Amino acid sequence: MIQSVLVVSAASALPLPLFSQQQKTAVVLDENPKLAVNTADAVADAMPRFFDPEGFKALRHLGEILVPARQNLPGAVETEAAEFLDFLIGQSPADRQTLYRDGVAQLNAQARSRYGRPFAEVTAADADSILAPLHDPWTYQDPADPFARFLRAAKDDFLKATVNSRQWAMAASGRSRSASGLNTYWFPIE
Amino acid sequence: MVAHILAQKGVKCLMLDAGPAIDFERDKTLKAVYDLPYHGFGRPGRFPHVTQANEFDANLWADEKQNPYTYDPNDPYYWVRIRLVGGKTLKWGRASWRLSNYEFKCKDHDGFGENWPIEYKDVAPYYDRVEPMFRVSGRKEGLPQLPDGVFLEDDSHDSAAVERFNASAKRMNIPTTKQRRATGALASSVNLLLPAALASGNLKLVPNAVVREITTDRNTGLANGASFIDRVSKREYHVKARVVVVGASCLESTRLLLNSNLANSNGVLGHYLFDQTYTKEIIEGVVPEARGGKGRGLTGGGGYVVRFRNLDKREKDFLRGYSFDFHTGGTPPAKCLPLYGTALQKELADVAGAGFNMTCMGEVLPRYENFVRINKDVKDEWGIPALHIRHKYTDNEYAMVRNAMNTAEELCHGAGFQVIAKHSQMVPPGESIHELGSCRMGVDPKSSVLNRHNQTHDVKNLFVVDGSSFVSGGVQNPTLTILALSMRAAEYMAEEMRKKNI
Repeated sequence: MIQSVLVVSAASALPLPLFSQQQKTAVVLDENPKLAVNTADAVADAMPRFFDPEGFKALRHLGEILVPARQNLPGAVETEAAEFLDFLIGQSPADRQTLYRDGVAQLNAQARSRYGRPFAEVTAADADSILAPLHDPWTYQDPADPFARFLRAAKDDFLKATVNSRQWAMAASGRSRSASGLNTYWFPIE
Repeated sequence: MVAHILAQKGVKCLMLDAGPAIDFERDKTLKAVYDLPYHGFGRPGRFPHVTQANEFDANLWADEKQNPYTYDPNDPYYWVRIRLVGGKTLKWGRASWRLSNYEFKCKDHDGFGENWPIEYKDVAPYYDRVEPMFRVSGRKEGLPQLPDGVFLEDDSHDSAAVERFNASAKRMNIPTTKQRRATGALASSVNLLLPAALASGNLKLVPNAVVREITTDRNTGLANGASFIDRVSKREYHVKARVVVVGASCLESTRLLLNSNLANSNGVLGHYLFDQTYTKEIIEGVVPEARGGKGRGLTGGGGYVVRFRNLDKREKDFLRGYSFDFHTGGTPPAKCLPLYGTALQKELADVAGAGFNMTCMGEVLPRYENFVRINKDVKDEWGIPALHIRHKYTDNEYAMVRNAMNTAEELCHGAGFQVIAKHSQMVPPGESIHELGSCRMGVDPKSSVLNRHNQTHDVKNLFVVDGSSFVSGGVQNPTLTILALSMRAAEYMAEEMRKKNI
């Protein structure tokens, strides 16, 4: 039974002459090995699964507008926030899934209605008329309008997904220790 | 606290706790938020009622599927629990305020509800002993509605923004003070109370013991022990006891008594549930002079606005009162700014360090109609019937919080702060994690469950020593009073045991 798959890229195969010249090093056996591991996030591309392709493109473009890159800090696109939110929403309760799915559909519907193209192809300046609810004064209660609720949720989620990303921590922790995202994780019961 | 006192007096004690004891070296690790599966958002739907949980500490909070409860969907209740040795003292906010006779003698003051069967002078000597144990810092003010304590004196300097806010309050005849908080890296029963009890050799602590019911002697009607289930293996046990003390936290204690059919000959057990209204971010603001990175030295720190309503003068719209925590510095949350993209980033950079916010806690009137009962149709992971909780806020609470919001805004304007957001929405009942009552003290056995010593009227060797015993709650965070009452009850128990009355 195959228990693991070792993926070896073409670039990692050494030329034969070099290989034959490698010195053999002694392996020290460790009875209590602590293996250095990597998380999937760090080495692989996450695959969007929840939104359909046009919806995902709209979501990604929304993220780009809401959280642009600036001053050597990555934005939502560079931190792959849309990819992460596709995963998060896909695991969320039905009401949140509906909020996002319908919200993204509205982005595209309004973009087609106003500008004759999908939201992913609308400029940031043109998008402002679609994102107008984000200029409403904040209220503790969520807005009654579902599209306004979606935009509010998306703004918060994109900001958080961006700042909580590996890419953000790498870029920002040089300026601020708190940007490293490190904290104590508890597991008395898991 | 009861174990802390009794064990050191030589009484042999056994403590059953529903959860495990944290190994502070083994049960934690440092992680980056991006290495968590949900990047800090938490697994969706895991804690519908625990807004306080985050992905780093999610494993500390009681699992809602293992520990279900019910409520009418029109009246949601957020029951927030920690089922570990130490309970919520592992995560509490540390705020440590004494109750006053405005709370203990509330009925004498405004005619509503009942007085406690005790008054401030009965509890003061125990507050005096608990505050040093929990290293409470604060500043003395001489206010009758917020008695002073035995503090680590806080004479720290206030920032200019705090001074401006305090001056604004003073002009409105509203008292302010420093925060009063238990200090230290950990301020929990696990480091401040249990070690001494265990070191005495008179306490056995059994974690992972889910108590199903308190058992009684058929002939005498006295409590004679408890049946419990191992949390992990589900094996059943029984243990005998001369005295049973329940301190499972407010609603779990009441649930246990209801499931045991004890202490309820008058039908009052479960009733008069209340908590404190909690209005998060009632004000979000900006100190204008601190914009553009000029906050250093101007902002930082905060304080507390002491209850001032309905003390000498009766308000028109509501009884009792409210208090505020306020903080200066930090950055207002992005959600409160009606901007996005580059404009939001610029504004956030401009207001970094210039933030101001206030949070409000208000007194909730205890009402018979707010209660818990057993829902036999729903059982927890161990087959123990769950609670059904009914708790609605009324006009008194809504009117009070509207008044609080308007007053908070006036205070801000008086200080020259810019208000960027305000609201008067209370969180749902329960979310303040200050649930109180449902097993209240009283002089009259027909209308209360416990006497003035936290002893049940019906079963004299059964005591309840947590927030369920409260008759009224004020605005003061309840932990300090729970600790003082528990200490008082423990000393009474020890004396009654010495005299062989129990």
